[in-house]
Amino acid sequence: MSDTTVRVRPAGYHVVRIGARGRFLLHRRAAVVAATLIVLLAGVCVAYLCVGESFVAPGEVVKVILGQPSQNELVVGTLRLPRMVVGLLVGAAFGIAGALIQTVARNPLASPDIIGISQGAGALTVGAMTFGVTSYTVLPYLSVIGGVAAAALVYVFAWRGGLHATRFVLIGIGFAIALRSVTTLFLTKGDYLVAQQAQIWMTGSLNGRGWSEAAPIGWTLLILLPAVLWAARAQRTVSMDDDTATALGVRLGRVRLGLVALGVILASVATGTAGPVDFVALLAPQIARRMTRTAQIPLFCSALLGAVIVVFADLLARKLFSPTELPVGVLTAAVGAPYLIWLIIRGHGGRSGGTA
Amino acid sequence: MSSTRTSDAVAGTTTGRLTARGLTLAYEDRTVVHDLDLTVPDGRVTVIVGPNACGKSTTLRALGRLLKPRGGAVLLDGTELSRIPTRKIAQSIGLLPQTPVAPEAITVSDLVARGRQPHQHWWQQWSDEDERAVTSAMERTDITALGDRSVDELSGGQRQRVWIAMALAQETDLLLLDEPTTYLDIAHQVEVLDLVRQLAAPAADGTRGRTVVTVLHDLNQAARYADHLVAMKAGRIVAEGRPEDIVTADLVRQVFGLESVIVPDPVTGSPLVVPGAPWSRPGPG
Repeated sequence: MSDTTVRVRPAGYHVVRIGARGRFLLHRRAAVVAATLIVLLAGVCVAYLCVGESFVAPGEVVKVILGQPSQNELVVGTLRLPRMVVGLLVGAAFGIAGALIQTVARNPLASPDIIGISQGAGALTVGAMTFGVTSYTVLPYLSVIGGVAAAALVYVFAWRGGLHATRFVLIGIGFAIALRSVTTLFLTKGDYLVAQQAQIWMTGSLNGRGWSEAAPIGWTLLILLPAVLWAARAQRTVSMDDDTATALGVRLGRVRLGLVALGVILASVATGTAGPVDFVALLAPQIARRMTRTAQIPLFCSALLGAVIVVFADLLARKLFSPTELPVGVLTAAVGAPYLIWLIIRGHGGRSGGTA
Repeated sequence: MSSTRTSDAVAGTTTGRLTARGLTLAYEDRTVVHDLDLTVPDGRVTVIVGPNACGKSTTLRALGRLLKPRGGAVLLDGTELSRIPTRKIAQSIGLLPQTPVAPEAITVSDLVARGRQPHQHWWQQWSDEDERAVTSAMERTDITALGDRSVDELSGGQRQRVWIAMALAQETDLLLLDEPTTYLDIAHQVEVLDLVRQLAAPAADGTRGRTVVTVLHDLNQAARYADHLVAMKAGRIVAEGRPEDIVTADLVRQVFGLESVIVPDPVTGSPLVVPGAPWSRPGPG
């Protein structure tokens, strides 16, 4: 800095210059956290591929990933890798979805599995199962439709000349409860085998998932990448109050709708792939934000953390009660539920402390 | 009672970029402001005063396109606000709401920098121009030293200065402030209002200062700091003009229903309203 006067930049940000006109703000701490999470994710992924009914040495795993010939090709490359990739993508999608929905709702409790998206997906999927649709090529699409439809209903009902954040969450919770009872109705109507299959789906499971499930969600994430980049920027202003955001020239209604729509699509596709893996969308963004200490929820770190959580949880789910495999959702719920309670307790303590 | 509307030099001879024509404002089915005409004089401080629920904040919100008019229109350079893209408006009009909410744990410099939003693009998130504007806004509000602090941990007075800095960093010709002195103690109130006056002061090279419109609760502060005072009651303008021309015991009675004596402010000479009917005033005889 050759300037003698002090120049102010947003604290904690680094200005990255790309080309002649490109100037991007990079949050330093978030960048460090992201790098750390990438390393952590790589570690968890290798561990995932090593551990199972038979242990494969990390060196062999790396060989398989790099496409070199190995005698563990079948176990690692064919059995474990596809399932891991599905978990990774599902986790990332849930992480981003949760971050976007929490941003718009301005509430850390809001997430696709709380405001009815997962339940909408569940109701339609289980309903279809009960009426004899059991094809795994059709069910994911139904669950996407169910999730999007539920979210649209919540949005419409919460709209009264504008979107009120609290109303959005409360109506979402109401819909979640209503849709859950619809699902239960289907379960009691359907026969025993269908009910059992539906039950596993509803907990969220990566069991039996492979490349054919990884492809659709992978493509969805890739196609939506530009939208996610837009969202990362748009989040900045939506986290202010409505009046201030409008005064800054933000078309709040459209931006919010865009963010919610993106979050809902990602959450629905993830739910269609693996079922509602509970609490990932709730946990990942909040933990990521606490790590980066940014003013808004960091999208990229949320995605990475979501992936870490799901892959690690599925690793435990496969190994913990081996040879019995738990649905991955059981483990994420076991960690997520106490966190949710802590979040509520802490939220109240903080607020009363603030006014005192 | 007919309104005592004084046309004066300020409103008569100077131009106004921002005007309201036949403005009618309503919440749901309750009409708050009736058929209001107002020209905001350029480069001056306009203060809107009036009793609670007279529609002063509502009017300010409409001037800043936060509230859609039920009837009439707000015009910026002769064009209806509703016909101008909101981002374009944000390059001309800055607005500080009554109770702005900052994102949790945001730093001071980050919040002030967000005032640059209407001037930025996706691929240009931080220009030299942004840096200059933010630096200067923080200097003017004397918060440069607070840059790395979290907004949550500031005192009320500091926080209000940070918000004003954000609105300043937007570098708009017009600035609307909705009760910027609420929740502040008297020293911080004076500090904020002094800053408002400085903003409207012409620069050394003669270019005119910014146009400020603010809603204030305190009639004496309004009379002291306003170039152009607008007194509202029940959704209508009762009087507008220079404070020394329009602030009379009559007006105070008419607008606030208060008996008072008007004396010159010993410091500035502006009209000072002294309530004239104390609770213990003995009856005649």
